[in-house]
Amino acid sequence: MAKADANVNSEREELAGMPDPSHVGRRYVAPGQAVAAASVAAYARAVSGGDEVFSPGSVPPTFAAVYCLGPALAALFADPELGIDLAGLIHVEQSFAWLVPVHPGDVVDASAEVSSVESKRGMTFVTVELAARDGGGETVCTGRSLLLLRGGR
Amino acid sequence: MRAVSAGDEMAPLTRLVDQAQISAYAEASGDHNPIHLDPEFARGVGLPGTIAHGMLDMAILAEAVGRWAGAHERVLELSCRFSKPLLPGDTITCTGRVVSVDAASGTATLQLEAVSGRGDRVLTNARAVVRLGD
Repeated sequence: MAKADANVNSEREELAGMPDPSHVGRRYVAPGQAVAAASVAAYARAVSGGDEVFSPGSVPPTFAAVYCLGPALAALFADPELGIDLAGLIHVEQSFAWLVPVHPGDVVDASAEVSSVESKRGMTFVTVELAARDGGGETVCTGRSLLLLRGGR
Repeated sequence: MRAVSAGDEMAPLTRLVDQAQISAYAEASGDHNPIHLDPEFARGVGLPGTIAHGMLDMAILAEAVGRWAGAHERVLELSCRFSKPLLPGDTITCTGRVVSVDAASGTATLQLEAVSGRGDRVLTNARAVVRLGD
């Protein structure tokens, strides 16, 4: 009896901490993301390696990793009910659309929404819709991340 | 910008990515996942060692497209699949080709790819939409 209970508990423990379709629609917000000139410059230098920075002073499109994807996914990863284990996480696909250029000094609100969770053959695929909106509520950037987690039904 | 038509090749961009750059990208992007920084940890999860952030690969691809288009803000859309990891000390070469031009909206769609010096197809299913110059 005690042994059977232990098995039930360990199974529950395994299944807790993995996104499932009931999490579709969960939305996470990361407001107040500053597009700081110093951060943009550091990002552009990191991307350039030792090469000359392309178009210094303007915001590289993938700086969306800093003002949108990073903080929005961090909010999602912090949800204990999703229980995403970063050590088993693989970023499979990414897309962005830039609707309005952002500039140093802008502040945007980032968000992430779980749009799909599919498990097959012990792997779980999570699709997340990303957005960044400016102070006036206008969407400046959207994106979609496909994440792969090891585990699940 | 000169007239653009389907079949045009984007000027390739090749960059050597070393661990110092990967570490700088971790700092600049805020993504401190140890698979990018700690070789022991990376090997523990089945990788050959640390790997570059997929977003760093994508950022270099975006730069290649921006250079071709003439400005960062002409890149309107970019998508890719992170097919193979880029390892520190390896080069990444981004190539692309115009697949269509929409004269009405003044945009072009490019099909893109990034391969490593070892021959791994690092970024696949990659596509961009750019706004063409006047």
